[in-house]
Amino acid sequence: MKNKVVIIGCGRLGASIASYAASQSLNVIVVDSNASSFERLDEPFSGFTVTGDATDCTLLEKEAYIQTAESVVVTTGNDNVNLYLAHLLSRIYEVPEIVVRFDDPKYEELIKDLPGVKAVYPFQLSFEKILSFKEEMEAGK
Amino acid sequence: MKIAIANGTFQAAYLFDLFKKNGHKTVLINSSKDDAAYLLKTKHVKVFVGNPWSRHVLEDAGVGRCDLFISLCDEDTDNFASCLLAKKIFGVSKVISLVKNPANVEIYRKLGIDSAVSSTYLLGQSILNESSMETIIKTLSLENDKIVLLEATILPKHKIAHHKIMDISFPKFASIAAIYRNYSVIIPNGQVELFPKDKLLIVCGKEDEEKVLAYVRDEA
Repeated sequence: MKNKVVIIGCGRLGASIASYAASQSLNVIVVDSNASSFERLDEPFSGFTVTGDATDCTLLEKEAYIQTAESVVVTTGNDNVNLYLAHLLSRIYEVPEIVVRFDDPKYEELIKDLPGVKAVYPFQLSFEKILSFKEEMEAGK
Repeated sequence: MKIAIANGTFQAAYLFDLFKKNGHKTVLINSSKDDAAYLLKTKHVKVFVGNPWSRHVLEDAGVGRCDLFISLCDEDTDNFASCLLAKKIFGVSKVISLVKNPANVEIYRKLGIDSAVSSTYLLGQSILNESSMETIIKTLSLENDKIVLLEATILPKHKIAHHKIMDISFPKFASIAAIYRNYSVIIPNGQVELFPKDKLLIVCGKEDEEKVLAYVRDEA
């Protein structure tokens, strides 16, 4: 399977990324422990869905075909699960491109040396955006 | 040695007693207020309340001054995060993680956790050791499986029975540490003769385990 993207966690963010990637004709596999999460995906969704625990290597290998993934996006709602997956995907499976979402920006220190891993911090992004709005408003006074 | 134990109720209480008895100083951390209250009540020890994967909790508990960090959380990923934080940020030289999924034992070690312990994994290893050796051989793995301590009972049919150690050219890559005979322990030298029913405690590298067992079980 070419241009394979695996999305782990099908919350609002994961579902949006999965739907977008599928619309760009990429081969998408979405993993979530809760089958009802897949209802968030756009209809029709051309990718595949896998229900189960993404920290289970057997599931990652046999159902998500992780060894052939070119890119993995990790967006579960649990920072510790995301941290573990970042280490597992980078150091055991050597996935070339891994993007991981964290609520707590302090996790940066625990992933900074991992090859191929990039992190996003929605809290930090919102915080910075709000500060910039505030500065703009004050400048306009 | 100073040891930090993160989470766990009865397990933490048991380890606390064990370490105290052996003269070690132990720091307890627990994310559950109820569990912390139980430990305070039963062990009369201060418990740092908070998630062990939070930097400020480990800071308050003084984990940076500990030689060993043991994580006993219910979730494997919480143990991974706590151990990684203790090792990477606080520089604890040895971290041990409890794992529920036995498959994680090997993976956690590969990911830099010094030791991962799974009760299911240990049970499986123990059953395998007991059954495959017809109950005459027991093994204990040390230092993450690098060193093994074998317990082998000599049977009358074995070639080495009724021979002095100096005469049997025992493999050079292994050493008989002790012989248990008639409820007493013998520290062996070359003059000691081996008899049926003797229990040999043999130390060797994990890679030589099979060769040593083959030697001991060789029949006359």
